[in-house]
Amino acid sequence: MNQADLSKLVSKLRINIRPRHYNLKNPKGPEGRLERLRIVVTGLIKHERIQLNYRVADEARGYAERLISEAIRYGDCHAPTMEIADYWLTEKQLIHKLFKVLVPRFHECNMSYTKLLRLSTDHELTRMQGVLELRGNPYPPLIKDLSRNRNLLHNVLLDAARKDYRHEQYLRIAQGMSSEGKKSNEETITGNIEDKDKNEKA
Amino acid sequence: MFSNLYRQCLVEKHFVYNLFPLCKWSQCFASSQPELATESTIQAFEEPEKRSIKLEQRFIYPEFLPDPKIEWRNSIRERLERQDMLKRRSQIEIPEFYVGTIMAVTSFTPHSTSKKNRFLGICIQRKGCGLRATFVLRNIIDNLGTEVAYHLYDPTIEKIEVIRLEKRLDDELFYLRDALPEYSTFPLDMEPVILPDNTPIPVNTTQVILKPRPWVGRWERTDFKGINREHMMTLISDKMKMQIAKHQKPWEKYDLMKQYRATIPEEEQKEIFAEVYSQLHQLELGKKKSKRIRTFVKPKKSA
Repeated sequence: MNQADLSKLVSKLRINIRPRHYNLKNPKGPEGRLERLRIVVTGLIKHERIQLNYRVADEARGYAERLISEAIRYGDCHAPTMEIADYWLTEKQLIHKLFKVLVPRFHECNMSYTKLLRLSTDHELTRMQGVLELRGNPYPPLIKDLSRNRNLLHNVLLDAARKDYRHEQYLRIAQGMSSEGKKSNEETITGNIEDKDKNEKA
Repeated sequence: MFSNLYRQCLVEKHFVYNLFPLCKWSQCFASSQPELATESTIQAFEEPEKRSIKLEQRFIYPEFLPDPKIEWRNSIRERLERQDMLKRRSQIEIPEFYVGTIMAVTSFTPHSTSKKNRFLGICIQRKGCGLRATFVLRNIIDNLGTEVAYHLYDPTIEKIEVIRLEKRLDDELFYLRDALPEYSTFPLDMEPVILPDNTPIPVNTTQVILKPRPWVGRWERTDFKGINREHMMTLISDKMKMQIAKHQKPWEKYDLMKQYRATIPEEEQKEIFAEVYSQLHQLELGKKKSKRIRTFVKPKKSA
């Protein structure tokens, strides 16, 4: 039975949070654990995409998200936030990057600020690996964008709708032709429309 | 008196935390009156005011926020509990109070001749959330430290009175168990002090003087501001002084996820207080009306 801590207000994170933290065995105890995570968070802010042990990545992800959300919430004129940023970013030029690059980038973001992906690894030989990256990084995407696959249901339906629409257009034009009684030009016009369709598809 | 009270507390399933015979200390030390500070340290946030209008309520109604432990969250149960709390609040007046406030609780008990028991004391802890919210009152009765833990929404409570509304420097005052008895002695017939409307809650900046060891807790390792640290250092051994640094945890203020797991995010707090705001506001208005009537009916004689 606990009571929520009232002294600090925090923004909600948009990632799934484990009920308990990973211990991340360390000879220095909880202090060493934070020091290890600090290296990871600094690396993430610096390189924007890193590959590492999945558990460490999962643990560091929360801290990176919190750091960015605090920076967005309070800005660079807030002394406690500056102190936190100073602790978590061991390279001091990254503090400028946090407040001047990442805060404007994520200011209106309504998703999580980071992405965590599992890598397919040989589990017998290595520990599970993961890739942790900031959203909006300059590298090519890791996951193929499959939304344009024509076999996906919504794409099949959209194709069918397009086809129907085109058919209606043909009929309307054909009716217009017949009412004017110019049968000779009909073939040439439909030929033009088919050409247009081919251009669109290309 | 003690045995009677002790029996009552046990039967009522309240907890009597510690019952120290404190009479031998009462003669040794001169009494010092706690000072009342006029300035308030209500936290001023740098957010625009719009944001904090409803969120200020979290200090007055902390039990409306659910338990932050993720496994125990259940939105439906939390909502039902909030409705039940509001229903109970419409039955009896549960006043605004903080740790450090001096309060009196009247509760029903089948064992007393009058079927009622009134206990007055200083609130030393506020704990729990929802319908299980509790508070602990402490007083020294017949030279015996007595603590009673009440459930805030207990149906056997008849009346909760606030005698002196004030805050202390800390969120928990368990160090009063090891402090001199005058810091937790309050006469049972104390007159209530009524604060004028819209005044900030006064903060009592008393720093208590501890008795010599043994103590209930390792107070030298904590950073409670309400303990007179200079005097405390004279009471502990050199070895204990050496160990203080070993037990400090300076990295905890950077542990952002630990802080996050211990609290409820602002967005959720807003939702909760938006849900209960109108009903709480109605209750507050009703309270103010009844207060005005009461003050009018009972005028005091000046001479």
